[in-house]
Amino acid sequence: MKRIKTLNTRNLKDTMKKGGCGECQTSCQSACKTSCTVGNQSCENK
Amino acid sequence: MIHQYKNNGYNIVLDVNSGMIHVVDDVAYDIIDLFDKLGNPKTHMISEEDKETIVTELLKKYNKPEYTELFEIKPGDLNGMKAAIQESISEVEQLIKDGALFTEDIYENYINEFKNRETVVKALCLHIAHDCNLACRYCFAEEGEYHGRRELMSYEVGKKALDFLIASSGSRRNLEVDFFGGEPLMNFEVVKELVKYGREQEKLHNKKFRFTITTNGVLLDDEVAEFINKEMSNVVLSIDGRKEVNDLMRPSRNGKGSYDLILPKFIKLAESRNQTNYYVRGTFTRNNLDFAEDVKHFAELGFKQISIEPVVSLPEEPYSIREEDIPQIYEEYDKLAKYMLEKKKEGKGFNFFHFMIDLTGGPCVAKRLSGCGSGTEYLAVTPWGDLYPCHQFVGETDYLMGNVFEGVKRTDLVEEFKQCNVYSKNQCKNCFARFYCSGGCSANSNKFHGQINDTYEIGCELQRKRVECAIMLKAAEAVMSF
Repeated sequence: MKRIKTLNTRNLKDTMKKGGCGECQTSCQSACKTSCTVGNQSCENK
Repeated sequence: MIHQYKNNGYNIVLDVNSGMIHVVDDVAYDIIDLFDKLGNPKTHMISEEDKETIVTELLKKYNKPEYTELFEIKPGDLNGMKAAIQESISEVEQLIKDGALFTEDIYENYINEFKNRETVVKALCLHIAHDCNLACRYCFAEEGEYHGRRELMSYEVGKKALDFLIASSGSRRNLEVDFFGGEPLMNFEVVKELVKYGREQEKLHNKKFRFTITTNGVLLDDEVAEFINKEMSNVVLSIDGRKEVNDLMRPSRNGKGSYDLILPKFIKLAESRNQTNYYVRGTFTRNNLDFAEDVKHFAELGFKQISIEPVVSLPEEPYSIREEDIPQIYEEYDKLAKYMLEKKKEGKGFNFFHFMIDLTGGPCVAKRLSGCGSGTEYLAVTPWGDLYPCHQFVGETDYLMGNVFEGVKRTDLVEEFKQCNVYSKNQCKNCFARFYCSGGCSANSNKFHGQINDTYEIGCELQRKRVECAIMLKAAEAVMSF
């Protein structure tokens, strides 16, 4: 596309098929402890 | 639902429900905006007549000499400009057809089903010491005491906690245990013994413990560092930034600042971990709304994993963040994002926890929308073995869930936390950031509204800004590598 660059290749909708295994880290175990930050976490089931 | 914004010279369009992020030029930016206004509410496509309206409106706006370069046309070439706008309209239509723009939220039933599944406990926050050797003014744990008494967790209680975790974790293999306080190093011998016990047990039960620790560094020495480096998959090092900032809020019990004592130890520990799997983690308050300077301070000291987070405290505290501080905080986040880009270009990049976002292998939608797991998958354990939904609820007896000896007794609380997610909070329904914060922190909601199904509005406003900055950084990095 000429005027549009899409940054990501992974559509959230597609993660419904394989997602929800629960093996990923609990969000508050990383650094925050005072907010809820999940967007930066990694999937353990790629 | 889309969210369009401009930041640091980038035009960004986030398609909220698919998570797709598009960096667009001014023309596409305007066209997408007009699609949002004119499009069919269901299909989001527009009629031929509306396409003509878009062309006419944009010709009016862009038919000026300064825009010829944008359209790659000769001055006055109106037909060329018209063709370019039409081409851009087709591109937008293609994105809609591809499910990458104006997508619907199809997740509510899926998340409700997901939340209703049988949950297991996968993470514990072990309050190994309800005591602290600092007296930080903003401490939600009230200098380690959590509205209760000073106490250190015994090995017996800790062991029971690990047994409880293994027994409650079903088929989940990765188990997380955070040694938290107060100050966990005040009970270091028990930490060591529990790690040893955990390593024995994981083999017997086919589990893998991931231990982490949060420390203020006062008792950090070479022996402790060696142990941490061997056993802890992550370590959070608490320090607020510049000396004057840190020492104002993080004094020792005799009133002396802690910066000079802890900083050299943190520098050494970060290096010994090869600048990975740790965070220097600070809290900013109303006293240092210029917190980007504190992040810079850490970066200049060579730290590569940095987190500085807003204090969460009630309005009566003089250091609390107020609504009127938000514009300044936004400016600081923008300033910080630009600084990070500069540093990256110089080959001296670093991570800022709240700007980290994974666009390729990030969490699945179930994780993104179902909440942090407090009260269900994640529990906090007090030194005497009581269970609470998370570390921030400790000491609030209404939320006492049971103990590690008898397990979870308050199944009603488990149910309440289970039902708490993005769709149970009205404020989240129209928020573009809901896929990045999972509906926010239940403890913050409880602190400000006395119930878990609400939101802490200042926290939400800051979260939205951070998501915008994080995406801008990704856009800038992508453009740099195109």
